[in-house]
Amino acid sequence: MLSTALHQFTRGPQSILPEQRKGQKANNSARPAMEPQADDSPDSCSADCGGAGGPPLGAGAGEPRSEGRLALLLRLRAQIKQQLLEYKSMIDANEEQTPDQIIQEKQMEAKVKDLENEIEEVKIAFDMKSLALSRMQLSAALKNDLEKINTESSVLMNTMKEILKLNKSVMKLQQESWELEEKLLDIRKKRLQLKHASENKLLEIQTEKKKRKEELNSMGNSDKIKTMQQILQTEMEIATVIQHVFQNIILGSKVNWAADPALKETVLQLEKDLTTI
Amino acid sequence: MSVLRPLDKLPCLNTATILLVGAEDALLQQLADSMLKEDCASELRVHLAKSLPLPSNVNRPRIDLVVFVINLHSRYSLQNAEASLHHMDTSFFLGRVCFLATGAGQDSHCSVHHNTVRKLARTYRSPLLFCDLEVDAFRASLAQRLVRMLQICAGHVPGVSALNLLSLLRGSESPPPEEL
Repeated sequence: MLSTALHQFTRGPQSILPEQRKGQKANNSARPAMEPQADDSPDSCSADCGGAGGPPLGAGAGEPRSEGRLALLLRLRAQIKQQLLEYKSMIDANEEQTPDQIIQEKQMEAKVKDLENEIEEVKIAFDMKSLALSRMQLSAALKNDLEKINTESSVLMNTMKEILKLNKSVMKLQQESWELEEKLLDIRKKRLQLKHASENKLLEIQTEKKKRKEELNSMGNSDKIKTMQQILQTEMEIATVIQHVFQNIILGSKVNWAADPALKETVLQLEKDLTTI
Repeated sequence: MSVLRPLDKLPCLNTATILLVGAEDALLQQLADSMLKEDCASELRVHLAKSLPLPSNVNRPRIDLVVFVINLHSRYSLQNAEASLHHMDTSFFLGRVCFLATGAGQDSHCSVHHNTVRKLARTYRSPLLFCDLEVDAFRASLAQRLVRMLQICAGHVPGVSALNLLSLLRGSESPPPEEL
């Protein structure tokens, strides 16, 4: 088929059949073909598929003008390669035996899912391999390029120097921001410590106050104080008795104690109630 | 009446053929016209059919991509599509079949729920596209997508095969509602 196509190209645009000129646009020519089916029984197709062999090749002759013959040939070559690959894979697929027994639909679904996953895995593996390959190719090309060119001035070196400069500044800025964060962290720690210290101090003050209160309360109940109080009481009673005795002595002596100020003072002093002192 | 098989004939040079199957002629014709307006390096051939099986007495080129157009407004188109699916060879469903649901925009007119179509696409493991074929802009962008898919299915794009495309399209599917 390819040889006849080549033959067509050399003939030039006059080989295009008139029907094609109508439908021919800038880059392609195409025709819709209708296959009508009236009522119940399908009729014969009305498309002129009989001319299938000629027109595609004839229309292809118009292509070289816009596409370039070499480009067209290369494209057709790629097409035919791909189609050959498809047919080959079909043949390989058809060699597989399909099981004869009737499998449940659910099992079939599961099987189909498994197969689809297999396809995905193979695709991923292939993609990763091609990625690795392209990476190797890139590094090899880079290596070759570096050996050839002048290392002082070239776009590549400039770009790399730019990249290094930017990386350095990025690192420096990151370092600065890290230090600032550290400072902030330190200040926060100190604040926390101060808070804890003040908390402790306040707690201590509270406990001290409580202790003192308790001591005061306990002191009031201790025995020592009770005995002391009793002694005080007895002493006060003795003093009161002595006071009354002196008073009565002075009064009994029928002396005019109001005339003498010193004696007056003494009598009045003895009147004082000792318990209120 | 024969079963439609993929890859049963040799491909024509630089030619890609798509078959649109749908119950409504006007929609198919509109879509075919939009597709032919698309810029494409290979020659496009668009075949339209109401339903399968196709008459076997016609010499047609090998079909690279089959698109079932289902109108969500009519239950008949869904039944038509389901009936036609039986006349296809199973190896077609390895990436050379696509479902197209139209009319999802007007929810009030939809007699077929979009979940039904989703389940259908999931059963047959084929991509499902939604598009309102009445609107020009949507139809043009859908035509672009279909032309690209067709090129891949016809083998015109080196390095990508129909099955590859299928697994690529599958990645964006969400789990079916029953499993949620």
